[in-house]
Amino acid sequence: MERLWPRLAVPARPALAVPSRLAAPARLAAGLAGLAAAAGALAVAERPGRSTTYAGSSAAGAALTLSAGLALIAAGLVICLGPRPRRTGDLALLAGFTWFAPVWAAWQNGPPLIPSLAMALGGFTFPLIVHLVLAYPAGRASPAPARALIAAAYVEALLAAAVLALFRDPYLDPSCLANCNVNIFLVRSLPSLAHAAGIADRWFAAAAAAGLIAICAARLVAGWRPARRRLLPVAVPAIMFAAAVAARAVALQRTTVEDPFNAALFAIFAVASAAIVFLATGLISGVVRARAERRAIARIAVNLGEAPAPGSLQTALAEALHDPELRIAYWLPGARRYVNTSGHAVPEPAAKPGGTVTRLMRNGRTVAAVSHAGPSPGLESHIGPAITLGLENERLQAELLAQLGELRASRARIVEDADAERRRLERDLHDGAQQRLLALSYDIRLARTSAAADGDTAAQLTLATAMEETGAALEELRELAHGIYPAVLAEAGLAPALATLADTAPLPVQILRADDRRYPAPVEAAAYFVVAEAIGDAARRGADRAAVTVAHEGGQLVVTVEDNGTGRDAPMVTLTDRVGALGGSLYIMEAACRAEIPCASS
Amino acid sequence: MRVVVAEDVMLTREGITRLLTDAGVDVVGEAGDAASLLHAVRATQPDAAVVDIRMPPTHTDEGLVAAQQIRAEHPDTGVLILSQYIEPHYAMRLIEEHPERVGYLLKERVFDVANLTDALRRLADRETVVDPTIVARLFARKRLAGPLDQLTGREREVLALVAEGLSNRAIAARLFVTERTVEAHVKQIFLKLGLSTDPGSHRRVLAVLAYLRSAA
Repeated sequence: MERLWPRLAVPARPALAVPSRLAAPARLAAGLAGLAAAAGALAVAERPGRSTTYAGSSAAGAALTLSAGLALIAAGLVICLGPRPRRTGDLALLAGFTWFAPVWAAWQNGPPLIPSLAMALGGFTFPLIVHLVLAYPAGRASPAPARALIAAAYVEALLAAAVLALFRDPYLDPSCLANCNVNIFLVRSLPSLAHAAGIADRWFAAAAAAGLIAICAARLVAGWRPARRRLLPVAVPAIMFAAAVAARAVALQRTTVEDPFNAALFAIFAVASAAIVFLATGLISGVVRARAERRAIARIAVNLGEAPAPGSLQTALAEALHDPELRIAYWLPGARRYVNTSGHAVPEPAAKPGGTVTRLMRNGRTVAAVSHAGPSPGLESHIGPAITLGLENERLQAELLAQLGELRASRARIVEDADAERRRLERDLHDGAQQRLLALSYDIRLARTSAAADGDTAAQLTLATAMEETGAALEELRELAHGIYPAVLAEAGLAPALATLADTAPLPVQILRADDRRYPAPVEAAAYFVVAEAIGDAARRGADRAAVTVAHEGGQLVVTVEDNGTGRDAPMVTLTDRVGALGGSLYIMEAACRAEIPCASS
Repeated sequence: MRVVVAEDVMLTREGITRLLTDAGVDVVGEAGDAASLLHAVRATQPDAAVVDIRMPPTHTDEGLVAAQQIRAEHPDTGVLILSQYIEPHYAMRLIEEHPERVGYLLKERVFDVANLTDALRRLADRETVVDPTIVARLFARKRLAGPLDQLTGREREVLALVAEGLSNRAIAARLFVTERTVEAHVKQIFLKLGLSTDPGSHRRVLAVLAYLRSAA
């Protein structure tokens, strides 16, 4: 069953390489452990070290500490229990744990391992949050600066933790407050190195926080609207949190001891905690929205049974995902290109800033590429086999339309080429044969004049006949050329050409309406030949009058020829073909013939 | 009479020049395209220009465009367009803006030198020249019963000559009647056809041609 589902070109990797079967119980256990850690932290905060932590300093501090940490753990669990991407959830869980580390570090009479470990782990909350924010919503950080920032944050946290664990003797640390007794990892006491590491850590945190702010702001600015809406609930708290981190670094630079009763420091802590709560809320809202989108997409699948209009899937998906700029491009394997729902060629979809291109596959073949806001696993996991089948149907439809479009274009080209050929022939007759005949008639005239001068009456008579013949030939040639392609049609347009047609028609023809507007040459030619043919047909059917109307209506040239002939039976196939080649229609009625020819320009 | 000849086919141009020269007309300039035609007209200020309707570069209506320009710039120079098309549209377009001293003749007609010199003389007399073939075709047009049927045979004759661009005096000479008789005929014809144009003006040619084309 899983196979039939559309898959990403790049399958999502399982988060943090936890064996998938164990992942769910492990995460549940992690959640419970998180609750325990929170409860323990609360207990620790009430113990003798209470004056050294924000949680212990006041009820507000305790509430902030608990709500931020628990919110992260809750968000982590909610994400982990939902569909992909789960990495974000794991990161939130881990960040929730490390959030409580500073409280545990203040456990004064507990097992020495706990404060020692907590001291080292406390520094990891920031890199975890950086990772979490920059990898949102796809589960992977994409631009290189973001990846670099994440890596740098982890490496720095690791180095700082190692220096603190191996070389910081709390007993000798003048800036110690929460844990001034134990560090079981201590290898050698190097107070100055530990002090320097502390300073370096603060400055790095300030710089990294600035980087996080910059990247978040850039993503918000660059992303187009639907993408920005998705990003906002996470990016804004992240900026707030980063600002607090930077402010803390600056404040500590002045006071050296992180005294929770210092009003400024407490305010910064409050802001950071609130930011974490908002961040967690944003993460949860993302899950809720994804669920709503999944349901909306499921509804599309249900509605597929009611045979929706072709091309409606794009609109339906755009509405379900609240992304009006969502575009579906269907892959035509034969033509090796993408087309839209109406069969027009479109460029291969490219991901917009903050968006993704998801390639949807069926039986190992690409069906369509969807350009949309938000992460690709989101869409891929939402779309079930029914919608993929619907997309495949639309793809077939689009393929058909594309072929139809090509066929129509080729028909139009054939007619256009034939018209151009007619026009060329007409010109050749005028410029070639007619000029020669003119020259001939001139020569004959000269010969006749000289024959008259010589008094050769026989020659004069013969030459007179020759002149008449030449005149007749010229006349016939002119009619022939006009019939092939009237020069006035190309040079002056439809109205003058129709007027001339009426001049020479075998029955009275009224031009009721025809303005001097010019249309594309194939359109004018089609309209002209429709009228010419219809008038000829009217004469054959014994009509004694005909009326022609030419009108420009709604982007179409509408030509109507009415007559009072009887017994119309000829289907006028050639005219139907000619008009059809331009995407128009020819209607043959009892007393009228009507052609509707689309004309784009003028 | 001094004339400039413009025609891109050299054989035809030479033929026309020779015919005109033989008939005592002074050909003061020859041109193969519209630009050199305009140049020659400016340089020589001729009485008339004989102009092929199709000339380089596009071989469509360069002659007509040049004719309008000559008429606008040189009121004393007439223009005789030579065309291979029996196309009232071109003739009407020619006389639309400058209804006098312009003419539209079928090419094969000019090799009868009498036709050519007659047309040039009429241009000099401020008349208009419309090829009789065009007028004949318009008269032959199939139409519904209308005012044209009410015209007498003589009136139709007069109307055709009006359409060809002849003045009342020329019509009188052609029909061997007095000018006053022609005037009366023309007034009567215009009344019957319901034409509002002043029957004595140069504009009447266009009005009559348009009428002949429109009344189905």
